[in-house]
Amino acid sequence: MRVLVVDPDPARAALVAEGLAGVEPLEVRHASIFNEVEAAVFGPDVIVVASDSPDRDTIESLREATAANPRPVVMFVDRSERGLAEQAVLAGVSAYVVDGLSAARVRSVLEVAMSRFQLMNGLRQDLEKAKADLASRKTVERAKALLMKERGLEEEAAYRVLRKLSMDTGRPIGAVAADLVAFAGVLKGNGS
Amino acid sequence: MSGERPLRLGFIALNDAAVLIAAKEKGFFAAEGLDVELSRQVSWATVRDKMSVGALDGAHMLAPTALAISLGAAGAEATPLAAPLALNINGPAITVASRLMAVIGEGQTADGLARLVARRREEGASPITLAVVFPFSVHNYLLRDWLARAGIDPDRDVRLTIAPPSRMTELLVGGVVEGFCVTEPWDTAAVAAGAGQVVVRGSQFWPRTPDKVFTVTEAWANARPDELQALARAMLRAGAWADDPANRAALAMMLAQPDYVGAEAQVIEASLADMIFHAGGASAPQPIHAAWLLSQMARWSHIDPTIDIEAVARRVYRPDLYAIAAAALGMPEAPPLEVLEGFGSERPFRLATAQAYADEARSRRVSAG
Repeated sequence: MRVLVVDPDPARAALVAEGLAGVEPLEVRHASIFNEVEAAVFGPDVIVVASDSPDRDTIESLREATAANPRPVVMFVDRSERGLAEQAVLAGVSAYVVDGLSAARVRSVLEVAMSRFQLMNGLRQDLEKAKADLASRKTVERAKALLMKERGLEEEAAYRVLRKLSMDTGRPIGAVAADLVAFAGVLKGNGS
Repeated sequence: MSGERPLRLGFIALNDAAVLIAAKEKGFFAAEGLDVELSRQVSWATVRDKMSVGALDGAHMLAPTALAISLGAAGAEATPLAAPLALNINGPAITVASRLMAVIGEGQTADGLARLVARRREEGASPITLAVVFPFSVHNYLLRDWLARAGIDPDRDVRLTIAPPSRMTELLVGGVVEGFCVTEPWDTAAVAAGAGQVVVRGSQFWPRTPDKVFTVTEAWANARPDELQALARAMLRAGAWADDPANRAALAMMLAQPDYVGAEAQVIEASLADMIFHAGGASAPQPIHAAWLLSQMARWSHIDPTIDIEAVARRVYRPDLYAIAAAALGMPEAPPLEVLEGFGSERPFRLATAQAYADEARSRRVSAG
């Protein structure tokens, strides 16, 4: 497991390393300042950041920018700030650790964070796929309607035309349908 | 008049926290019977989270962050905010690494930079990396507009990254970034360190550039109207004090303290030259500023482009709350601005046509009018 701890205080990195003793292979790296290039080279499985680190904005934006390859983020939160941790989780932090954590719990917290992150990431990808599927189905419906109207076909026959086009060109049926709808627009003069 | 605990106001170490700091240090809060605790925050994400959970009563905030939080676009659930006061104008500047200056030459436009971008692409070199302080920052939108007006697509032709303001000089020296847009004193600090040069100040490109606002949650504003007015009066008086040329040296000393901005007093004093906290209606939250920022957010698809720009601008920016406080102090009214000269490359920006501007800018991306 590769862990990057971004914290001005080296003590918490030591705590993380202690709590993960026995995990093989293990590499815990401490940085008082977050360096994007070094972090990319290191390729951590999880990033641990103190809530009072000025690098929080950078790490958060990185999560947005690298949506294709995001990392779970665990945050150390000061006990006195009630509710802050929950808000941070809403904002995309995978889990939080309240100050004063014992080394004994570090491993379970990081493991929960990583599995929760995988779950959320999976859900997000499913959602995006569902949205794309829905959009594609709507386009196929529009292309079918167009074929039925312009060529006087039955619904079943219109679908077969689309499916054949898809198979002949080796492209998804949604893409073929989108082209058809777009070209029809151009022919009618909507596209220029 | 304050409640059982002090009012806790958050700020980030920047010159434009001056109004909050001066109101505390010069006793303007105390004169209103307010017990205020200023709490320095280290990241805008933390300010956002603390405002949402009520750990802060109010905060010094990037105007686009206030808008994004109200819309639920800043990575958390929507929390409607109210901005009764603008904290400054003319704070931001664009600074480029000194070693690039010979290549890009003089001038306030990004034309020189555009030539460098094209050359790097021909050579197959890595793109230019520029930093801003937060995705939802005035700096991000000013830098993007500046680049776009020279034909540089900020999402395709350069690499934009996020870095804390106080660390910009160090990143420039280390070659991690080659330029940035940040509020003073961190531009002047980079110049003083010999690392960079200010290419353009906000005021030279977008006259009376909007920057930070003071925000509370809308719920707080409704629940505690008397305290809100007392805060606004204290900050208006602090803004007038901070603008007085006779007080600028003292203000610089005040901000230089390690618990506030924590930079050299001389650097801060020099970097205050262009900044206005109060004069000419600078403290009045102008919905047209919010509308321009929202239109930029829509332009780069950072928010849902179908929102009603004018309605959102008027809900978050509250000149009505400002007007009550200003009238109580006998300060002049600040008439609403309907037009921003210089905020479009071809024609001025108008509140009435903000929606159409945003749609057009979104489809054209670069060089939008």
